[in-house]
Amino acid sequence: MLIQSAAKTLYFGSLLRKMSRVFSMISYMNSVSNWVIWRGSPRMSPLLNPLPAGLTYILAAGKKDLMDLPVLNEDDLEEQFVRGTGPGGQATNKTSNCVVLRHIPTGIVVKCHQTRSVDINRKRARDIMREKLDVAYKGELSEVIIKKKESVLRKQEKRRKANENLERKKQFKEVLAADLNPEKDTA
Amino acid sequence: METVLLCCKTVGTDSVFTETMWRRSVGAAHTWFGCRSAGPKRIWGPHAVRTCSTPALPPGRITALQAVDLWRRHFEERGVTEPGHSSRYIIAHLLGAKTVESLEHGKLTEFLSQEKTEQMWRLCTRRLSRMPVQYVIEEWDFRDLTLKMRPPVFIPRPETEELVELVLRDLMKNPGTGGDSQHACLEVGCGSGAISLSLLKSLPQLKVIALDQSQAAVDLTVENALRLGLQDRLQVYHIDVMKDAETVLSLCRHVSVLVSNPPYLFSEDVVSLEPEVLRWIHGVIILSAAPRFEDHSALDGGEDGLNVIRQILTLAPHILSNHGRVYLEVDPRHPVLIRPWVEAHVEGLHYVATQHDFTGRPRFCILQKEKSHKDRELYLGLRN
Repeated sequence: MLIQSAAKTLYFGSLLRKMSRVFSMISYMNSVSNWVIWRGSPRMSPLLNPLPAGLTYILAAGKKDLMDLPVLNEDDLEEQFVRGTGPGGQATNKTSNCVVLRHIPTGIVVKCHQTRSVDINRKRARDIMREKLDVAYKGELSEVIIKKKESVLRKQEKRRKANENLERKKQFKEVLAADLNPEKDTA
Repeated sequence: METVLLCCKTVGTDSVFTETMWRRSVGAAHTWFGCRSAGPKRIWGPHAVRTCSTPALPPGRITALQAVDLWRRHFEERGVTEPGHSSRYIIAHLLGAKTVESLEHGKLTEFLSQEKTEQMWRLCTRRLSRMPVQYVIEEWDFRDLTLKMRPPVFIPRPETEELVELVLRDLMKNPGTGGDSQHACLEVGCGSGAISLSLLKSLPQLKVIALDQSQAAVDLTVENALRLGLQDRLQVYHIDVMKDAETVLSLCRHVSVLVSNPPYLFSEDVVSLEPEVLRWIHGVIILSAAPRFEDHSALDGGEDGLNVIRQILTLAPHILSNHGRVYLEVDPRHPVLIRPWVEAHVEGLHYVATQHDFTGRPRFCILQKEKSHKDRELYLGLRN
């Protein structure tokens, strides 16, 4: 019995550690996919440099150095808007805010229409582009892929553990039922 | 982001603001603005009745995707601009997202409830009367904010998002040294409050004074500020800079930033735009027989589009602190006109730079106040 409980605490300890890792991973993935992280590069258009935008900034704070993604060179990018010809500005009221970004050297195309703000779509498109370039340059060694695989493995492991627990409970119940039934038979 | 979206969805057209919240915190005279109980403004009411035939509600259940297609085709037939975008933005809004692309996977192929179908028909009917999508769904994004939109208040354009970035970039390079010297900003012509609120959201130390000559704009800015919880550092006044420069000068002194997206269209373009607008551009100005959604005075900048701009630049040296800057969004033809005009007519203000917008058009002017002569004399006097 003693040995068992000791093993249990050990198990829970490692589980807790794993869980905290999973949580930090979740928030980390969040920061990558949903929140804009900007690292300036001298050649980037100044307007697309990092600017803290309230909550976005706070959530992303301290996490931007976790991944070493390639820095974008604005000269390599081709951007497509549907703003069309004409004077633009106040004279136009177009609602097409989708941004299509092409990385000329690799031909990778990213489309972003997550929000109704051109500014935010542009920034997110660049963010996605950096992840895609990382995968294109480093292949299986890309941190993006490694992290993704890790998270898949972690999920599988978690599911396996949960299934094992379920199985144990089921067996325990069967044993209980088996213990009770013979008594019933004799009664 | 999520909370912003949620709080913007709480509907409350009746004015619930108390005047005390907007009391002026500086100066002796307590002028109160922007708190008139306006009541619900349903400008589209009479127009919607007049609009052309709408497709009948479907007899059976339809999926979101079918509804989008049906309305896209109908918009196309009636010559409504951006038919696909319009119907997609409307359905996304009804299903609780900003764009169809950000909807949960599979949502579009689910059947719509009776209620949602009726809502879709009601909103699309408004769009059929050429009401801009932003007014139809009553909200739009501006940078990381979701703002309430209501006719006839000017709908912020994406170019203006870059104007905010220009201001932010400079302010973050030179943060106030704390205490009394924290930055203050004046916005002329705040409309829905997009620029002011965006600056306030990004700079937690900043204070902003916003002016507009339209009471509807003042009301909407106040409403958006309350929704976003940014009202504490914002003062909104119903003032016309063209007519009441005195009041502007008495209100604002020593601000480090004067930002404005003033009406800058050339009058002749406003007129010549009309047939173009009828065919292509919804929302700016519709022919006189049809409803005019956006306030004309938020667009027309006079013969050369410079009426309000000249006034702002004339007042700027009296409003700005030393080295304070003016940031203007203008017509692409303006920068080359503004520079010589300022050099000839405005003392103490020098032209710093023209910046291009994301489509490559010269769109923004940055000007800076030089130390005034009085200060310079004082400085020289001290040295001697």
